[in-house]
Amino acid sequence: MIGFRALIAGALLVAIGASAQEPAFRAVDLFVDSGSQPLAAYQLSFHSTGASVKIVGIEGGEHSAFSDPPYYDPQAMQSNHAIIAAFSTATADQLPRGRIRVATVHLRISSDRTPEYQLNVQAAATPQAERISVVTEAKERTGL
Amino acid sequence: MNTFRLTAAGIFVVCAATVSLMLGGCALRSPQGCTPLPGYGKGVVAGYPQSESHLQPLFGSLPILGEEVWVVARSRSISAPYREEIPGQGSLVVEEEKGRRVPLPLKHTDVKATIQGYIATVKVVQQYENPFDHKIEAIYVFPLPENAAVNEFIMTIGERRIRGIIRDRAEAEQIYKEATQQGYVASLLTEERPNIFTQSVANIEPGKRIDIDIHYFHTLAFDDGWHEFVFPMVVGPRFNPPGNTNEIAALPSDSQPDTHGKAVHYLRPTERSGHDVAVHVDLHAGVAIEELACATHAVEIREHSPTHAVVTLRPEDHIPNKDFVLRYRVAGERLKAGLVTARDERGGFFSLMLYPPADLRHAHRQPLEIVFVLDCSGSMDGKPIEQAKAAIRRGLELLQPGDSFQLINFSMSAGQLGRRPLEATPQNIERARRFLATLNAEGGTMMIEGIKAALDFPHDPERLRFVCFLTDGYIGNEAEILAAVQQRLGPARIFSFGVGASPNRHLMDSMARLGRGAVAYLGAEDEGAAVMSAFFERIAYPALTDISLDWSGLRVSEVFPARTPDLFVGRAVTLTGRFEGNLPDRLTITGQVGGRRVDVPVQIEQSERSARSIASVWARTKIATLTDEMLKGEESLGNSIRQLALDYSLTSPYTAFVAVDSAASTPGESKTVNQGVPVPQSVNFDRTVSNSE
Repeated sequence: MIGFRALIAGALLVAIGASAQEPAFRAVDLFVDSGSQPLAAYQLSFHSTGASVKIVGIEGGEHSAFSDPPYYDPQAMQSNHAIIAAFSTATADQLPRGRIRVATVHLRISSDRTPEYQLNVQAAATPQAERISVVTEAKERTGL
Repeated sequence: MNTFRLTAAGIFVVCAATVSLMLGGCALRSPQGCTPLPGYGKGVVAGYPQSESHLQPLFGSLPILGEEVWVVARSRSISAPYREEIPGQGSLVVEEEKGRRVPLPLKHTDVKATIQGYIATVKVVQQYENPFDHKIEAIYVFPLPENAAVNEFIMTIGERRIRGIIRDRAEAEQIYKEATQQGYVASLLTEERPNIFTQSVANIEPGKRIDIDIHYFHTLAFDDGWHEFVFPMVVGPRFNPPGNTNEIAALPSDSQPDTHGKAVHYLRPTERSGHDVAVHVDLHAGVAIEELACATHAVEIREHSPTHAVVTLRPEDHIPNKDFVLRYRVAGERLKAGLVTARDERGGFFSLMLYPPADLRHAHRQPLEIVFVLDCSGSMDGKPIEQAKAAIRRGLELLQPGDSFQLINFSMSAGQLGRRPLEATPQNIERARRFLATLNAEGGTMMIEGIKAALDFPHDPERLRFVCFLTDGYIGNEAEILAAVQQRLGPARIFSFGVGASPNRHLMDSMARLGRGAVAYLGAEDEGAAVMSAFFERIAYPALTDISLDWSGLRVSEVFPARTPDLFVGRAVTLTGRFEGNLPDRLTITGQVGGRRVDVPVQIEQSERSARSIASVWARTKIATLTDEMLKGEESLGNSIRQLALDYSLTSPYTAFVAVDSAASTPGESKTVNQGVPVPQSVNFDRTVSNSE
């Protein structure tokens, strides 16, 4: 009887193991659209819902002013919440305007549910230290 | 938010006031009142005004647990000339594949250090290239300074730069493993010891290059008027006693990849790696630099101003097989203490270096009981053991009537000169010299046997016991040794005497710190006798003891070390802590010299400094203190260390940096390639690496 129970337990474990999904790695691009204003500094808050997600890297953006990877808040990161910030001391004519990718967040997703991404701007500014309104978007890269 | 802040002004890098501290005056307070203490006066060089008879032997207040380590001597080796026969030199290659020889993946290490005052900010870039026709995983075990606060990690792939994330170590390792198996480029930085790290870089495609940037901060040591910046370049081969579960093995470069624990893969004497190193040090001393010297390497020095110099490693000395040691001495008596502060959202952080009084040389020492403990293991073969013997011979010469001594040797087991310490008579000293001459270096390093033999005998209360360990420290069971030191120390002080081109500085410093004593380093070309003389010189004078600080209303907390160490001749003390409130114009340092109270007013001069550096130095020091506490069996402190390291984005035994490029994966498995490294200069490969297999 004991042997039979062990056999069933073993079979269950095998079944569980077989169904466990391999984690996926995904890249999510973070965009900021400053319109006609030059973007000199930003601070963004990124997190995801709906799935178990861990942040495994933060990449710099496409424009030379923001190509270095932004710093993150280590305490927020412990709950996989990325608060990132960067600035550039370049002059206005060397700063990006319009919609640019300012960073890419690399993720490990361990569930089969599709995560939803939330990106909020905490602040954005021009070289003259004036706060500006910007539009943000977090978009998962596809076709990898 | 901890490390940055966005304000309406648009500038949100956290800056903090940097404060340098100049002594504005001082007072020696006798029982009747205060009198000036010239040795601390601004721009004044003078001795203590009291007579010898007022000073008592002060050895009872040598450093205690958790204190800053006291360094009495450092390597002054002359750079060895380029020689083809030195392993690691030249540009030949070792990895065989399909009948062709290809270079190892680590091509170059670039080190850029900026020193401001006594705090160094160091950026290390490791350049990996895949010379194979298949994907590889490169693994490289390398050293960093023991007190390095590693808080930044960036992986660069072409033009793309990905910042690594600090994680619980097990979690980081799991993420790295999963990403590697799925074909993503990934990197992992783990801390094996406070001074040994492992860098893993997976899925490097053929012909591709990946750079790893590592940033760290650390405070510089101070020795007899000299500040010292060290960049260690190679991990010495460790001996791992049977049963050690946390080993760092020493394996030949062509051995199979290590599957149990960590291993350093050493090049054979006939092999070359092609890996080279560049070092650039930008020194802003804050005050006039009087002397600047690098005795370990050939360097080019450019002096831009009296306070600013740039030091560059010359190309002919670019082989990473010995520690790079740069020393500088600033204007004599003008700077007696240095206070650096910074603030961010978490509050204020400070680092305070207290420099010793100009002159404490007014008292005779009490009788000593000196125990010389000589490492006779295989790695000490050749020059190291000869240097160590020379040091012991000088120590024997410097003993005085009334002193006693013992001589212990250890390799796989321990032996000793006498059953108990001998009186320092001419006959006994001659007997010790003859015994010393018979000792040779061979076998393993059962240091625990040396510890037991040196500490497990009754203490003579009439004498101050100093146990002098002369060793390269090439062992893999440091935690066991340090725990034994704590358990068996009793009233003894430990003088750890590091021998060789790349000694295990973590072990040597920790033994001295836990052993309430001192450490000295002896380079490959140094005179052992001179270093031993320096040690005796130091312990022959009293100290400024029982130090306390009056912060003039400033609220300070979590100051490490918890008890301010004593100030000896030639020894500076660094404190780091947190503070709230406005900085006062001056502080007052109070201490005892020969039973007299000394008050030292200290004037503060503020300047800007990054909060990241000072906060990281503080957190790293707290981690080191908690780690010392764990040696007493406080295992639960591991969680505190983990949380602190996560909060301050620092590597630790419980945390690691991981970075994954999830933008693309490539098919196929990576073959693991362990980066072979040369054995340190003056270390015999056959007696260390081969025997460790």
